[in-house]
Amino acid sequence: MSSSPPGPEGSGRVRVTSPLATAPRHVRRSVREEIDESTGVGEVYMRSLIRSQLRAALTVVVTLALTVGVLPLVFLAVDAVTDRRVLGVPLPWIVLGVAVYPCLVVLGWLYVRQAERAEREFSELVEAQDDR
Amino acid sequence: MNTTYGIVAITLVAVATLGIGAFGLRVSRTTSDFYVASRSVSPWLNSSAIGGEYLSAASFLGVAGLVLAFGADMLWYPIGWTTGYLLLLVFVAAPLRRSGAYTIPDFAQVRLQSAGVRRVATALVVAVGWLYLMPQFQGAGLTVRTVTGAPGWVGTVVVAAIVVVNVVLGGMRSITFVQAFQYWLKLTALLVPVFFLLAAWDDDGRPSPVAPSDWIDPFSTGDATGLYLTYSVMAATFLGTMGLPHVVVRFYTNPDGRAARRTTLIVLGLLGTFYLLPTLYGVLGRIYATDLIDSGRTDAVVLELPSRILGGTTGEVLAALLTAGAFAAFLSTSSGLTMSLAAVMGQGLAGARLSGISALRLAAVGSVVVPLALALSAERIAVASSVTFAFALAASTFCPLLVLGIWWRGLTAPGAIAGMVGGGLCAGVAPVLTIAGSPDGWFGTAMSQPALWSVPVGFGLMIGVSLLTRGSVPLNVARTMVRLHTPERLDVDRRDR
Repeated sequence: MSSSPPGPEGSGRVRVTSPLATAPRHVRRSVREEIDESTGVGEVYMRSLIRSQLRAALTVVVTLALTVGVLPLVFLAVDAVTDRRVLGVPLPWIVLGVAVYPCLVVLGWLYVRQAERAEREFSELVEAQDDR
Repeated sequence: MNTTYGIVAITLVAVATLGIGAFGLRVSRTTSDFYVASRSVSPWLNSSAIGGEYLSAASFLGVAGLVLAFGADMLWYPIGWTTGYLLLLVFVAAPLRRSGAYTIPDFAQVRLQSAGVRRVATALVVAVGWLYLMPQFQGAGLTVRTVTGAPGWVGTVVVAAIVVVNVVLGGMRSITFVQAFQYWLKLTALLVPVFFLLAAWDDDGRPSPVAPSDWIDPFSTGDATGLYLTYSVMAATFLGTMGLPHVVVRFYTNPDGRAARRTTLIVLGLLGTFYLLPTLYGVLGRIYATDLIDSGRTDAVVLELPSRILGGTTGEVLAALLTAGAFAAFLSTSSGLTMSLAAVMGQGLAGARLSGISALRLAAVGSVVVPLALALSAERIAVASSVTFAFALAASTFCPLLVLGIWWRGLTAPGAIAGMVGGGLCAGVAPVLTIAGSPDGWFGTAMSQPALWSVPVGFGLMIGVSLLTRGSVPLNVARTMVRLHTPERLDVDRRDR
């Protein structure tokens, strides 16, 4: 570089710059904005949240179907279960009258834990991007 | 049974209900208070209110009566009524609260942007509500007659009047307090006598129920009809709970989606605790009150056991406590149903000529008059069966609307209308045919419990027609999904666009 910059009328030199330096700076948009504007990225985030919540719900449904749902068939097919007595009470009465209820509550509790965790992770993801 | 104690018990419950309602009146000021208790009800208060509202005559009196008469197979009813809340929790609770809508027609409008869907949903809410309200009024008449010997219409009219006064005066806020009080009253009323009854049974040498094996064993006959009926009851109760108008309305009183979930979880616990008790009454009834089966008065078993087993003043006082619980059951369920019906009708009436509160008050009177007239004029239909038809109707129409609306972007307004009309016709024709003609054989069985085939019809039509009308998916569906599913702590755009 010469100590005195040449004028336009000088040696005919032209100032050359990278197009990247003059282009408008790339704006990093937050996930929140992506969601608000329903862009492709926002949609991907939303779909992943909905899918994880739906998966938690369907897990509960499948568990129900495989436990409570098959009980009538078990009682119908397996005499050993129907004839069994616990403390003098027939096993089906214990299962249907008592045992089912705490199981339903536990299933609900597990679901709530899972759903809240999914929401917390989603919020953290979105807010972490927000801070940048 | 001692008439004086019974009348005192009924009067106390009625006065307490109106008293708590009046306390609520002092807090109810704005239209928002009236409709949704300003959305500031804590999960415990709200859960107790939901439990109080949900445990109707069918739960308090009906389950024990069914167990007394038919045994193990009847245990599916309370299981279904509880599991319905689990499915409501996983599919509907939080998104429904976040939708910001107050009734099912509101939800349909928010999600599908269609006045047509809203009208169909409104008509169905009224149908389900009347189907559920009528047996409550009839059951009240029956109880008052059993306890006091007064003619049946007295109890029916008294319950209807108390309910209307309560809704008209206080709206949702006072209903919330009343319902919460009534859950705990109902639980106490069943729980306390059980200890006395079991102690007496123990002194008696612990006799076992004398019953044929088809009472003790589930499906001992092993035929396909029994299996169909059991699975159909499951389908109706598991899926119908989320579509009952008085259940759905309560979710708007939660402050946010997370509270809606926690509330539902507590409700599961409250219902599970309550439903342990009616079975005991049914089994004790099989030991000490088998004559009720022959006289066809099995629904009275809960009310009659204390006088039969214990006798004396103890028996009379406990019987009065149970009467109070039964009366609380009629009052709370009817109040909740009337409130939700009034809300739906009131939204239709409110406009230039009526303020929101006047419309709600007018609609409350209107929504009680029709089922009251039906209850007074129609022949008594068994409480349990009428209630099951209401569940089947809700399961075939509102369950697909809510589940698909919340989880599937492809739902369209024509699809929703087709599903609700188709599923509603299937589940609605069944009780009419059953009551009018009592058809025999397989057809009669399918008609007596329609849910197992009418729910797939509702879902199938809704999905099929939505796929055929893909072009009319609402434009703002992505925005609606953001609103339904993002946690409130995130500051995203939730407006309608």
